[in-house]
Amino acid sequence: MLSELLQGTDTGGFLVIQDSSSCTGRHLLKSFINAALNREENIHVLGFEVSEEELGEGLNTSAPQRLHFHNAYSDPLGWTDHLTFTVHQFCLDELTHLVKQTSQSKPATLVIDSLSWILRHQSPPAVCKTLQQLKRGGAVRAIIGLLHADMHQKGTVGSVCHLATSVITVAPGMKGDEAVAKITKRSKSGKVMQYEEIFSIKDDLTVIVQSKPSHLEHKQTDPEEQQMDPTAHLTFNLRLSDTERKAKEKLALPFVFSKEKKTALLHSGQGSGRILYEPDANDDYDQEDPDDDLDV
Amino acid sequence: MFTELNSILNSTPDSFTKGEFIFVSDRQSDASFLIHHFLSFYLRARCKVCFLGLVQSFSHYCAISQRLGVSLAQAKEKGQLIFLEGLKESLSILIPQEGHTENQAMDFLRDPTVGLRSLYKFVQSSLNSSSSGEDGTEEWGPSVLLVDDISVLLSLGVSARAVLDFSHYCKATVCSQLQGNMVMLVRCDGEDEGDDGDDEGSELLLRGLTHQCSLTLHVQGLPTGYCRDIHGQVEVCWRRRQGDGQHTQKKLFQYKVHDKGASFFARGTSSAVL
Repeated sequence: MLSELLQGTDTGGFLVIQDSSSCTGRHLLKSFINAALNREENIHVLGFEVSEEELGEGLNTSAPQRLHFHNAYSDPLGWTDHLTFTVHQFCLDELTHLVKQTSQSKPATLVIDSLSWILRHQSPPAVCKTLQQLKRGGAVRAIIGLLHADMHQKGTVGSVCHLATSVITVAPGMKGDEAVAKITKRSKSGKVMQYEEIFSIKDDLTVIVQSKPSHLEHKQTDPEEQQMDPTAHLTFNLRLSDTERKAKEKLALPFVFSKEKKTALLHSGQGSGRILYEPDANDDYDQEDPDDDLDV
Repeated sequence: MFTELNSILNSTPDSFTKGEFIFVSDRQSDASFLIHHFLSFYLRARCKVCFLGLVQSFSHYCAISQRLGVSLAQAKEKGQLIFLEGLKESLSILIPQEGHTENQAMDFLRDPTVGLRSLYKFVQSSLNSSSSGEDGTEEWGPSVLLVDDISVLLSLGVSARAVLDFSHYCKATVCSQLQGNMVMLVRCDGEDEGDDGDDEGSELLLRGLTHQCSLTLHVQGLPTGYCRDIHGQVEVCWRRRQGDGQHTQKKLFQYKVHDKGASFFARGTSSAVL
């Protein structure tokens, strides 16, 4: 699935790469940028977190006019009065203007490094609104964003990922080189599919998927364990022979109220005492038996 | 300067990676011995050092650096070291006196919500003046910023967000623009709170700085408790992709702090054990 995503998101697609402090997702983000450059697409990068040099390391530089890096790293808050992109300019109009400035025939892919930086300075609803407007508008073809999931509350992360058509969560893998990617892909029909793959990234930013993707639709139930025979491996005999079993089943247990006991109690045998009752004038004798409805 | 740590980090005063952001953190332990190491290391490497000493006095650092063979007073006189003594300067804001000008850098004490923009301006001006090359001043090497420690700003009312913005700007200026290095210390107390994602707190600062940095050194006590011969463990984590194509590379060492230095060894190889 990771290779399919690398081959290009559909128009209007929004891909979120989630990472944490234990495993950075920036290498995977650079792989996506590189793959898009190889497909001869136009890329606009909003670089908040790392400098242009650091992000450009290893990228395919054969066509520099297709990769536009907007420097939001040197002065994102306007502290030094440089004329660079600031975080307050992250809104639909400014971004559309930015992308259309270097307009080429094909609509561009917008890469945001990182969404966490923007979420630190703008409220989550405003950021979600801008992202949704970008998705719907025609200025950009696709959006790829990097999000540090451990820097925000779960609700914020959830809101942003809800807008995404695909979410890749990167976690450290078993071996040093490898990482585990948990992918959630939402197709246009509304179907949600989840995948888990182990991958590693080479120096030239190609992604190698190490294991076959496991298609997780529901939790697999473990097969029931074999029932162990408790009468096996004992020093004494707990088993019953056939005759013993029959005798056991015939036995009437002392405190179980069976049919024979009931009839014996209700119809007293001969020779036992009988109770004769003649109602007095004061007694309220009701012919009906109040205990008639008891199921005894 | 600890020679064993130099070999672990693969750096000497003559050759070290430029543009690095080294993040030192500790949890229920004291990592300030690493700050003394880096201070003496960069002074020996003839770098221009801007030191924000927010938690101790200048004489404290002087005394310890003398044991490591570096004279801070001399470096300050020559202009190699610019020292912001946070404790003393804060008095100029908290108890304003006639004839004493306030230090703008500590403006955040008056209103913590304003952020650390003036502190950043102080850092920028002190490190940028090095490249002017006036007569009489010596040429120093790449600029270095040391902060000891940045988590104390959280106790002073500055939000973790503002501290992360400050460290971002310092990184942009010192590491990327001036191709120098930066070392920051964060002290955490208590257990790891898990991924709360809370807006305040040293955990958010710890995670945010881990994302920004290129090398982390995390100091902790031994999980088995107090030991006389081993003072704790240091986990070194290289975040930037190394030349041989590896992802984050981690190494764990144990250390013991002596009078004139600290020794680092692999787990289980302490001299008390072997």
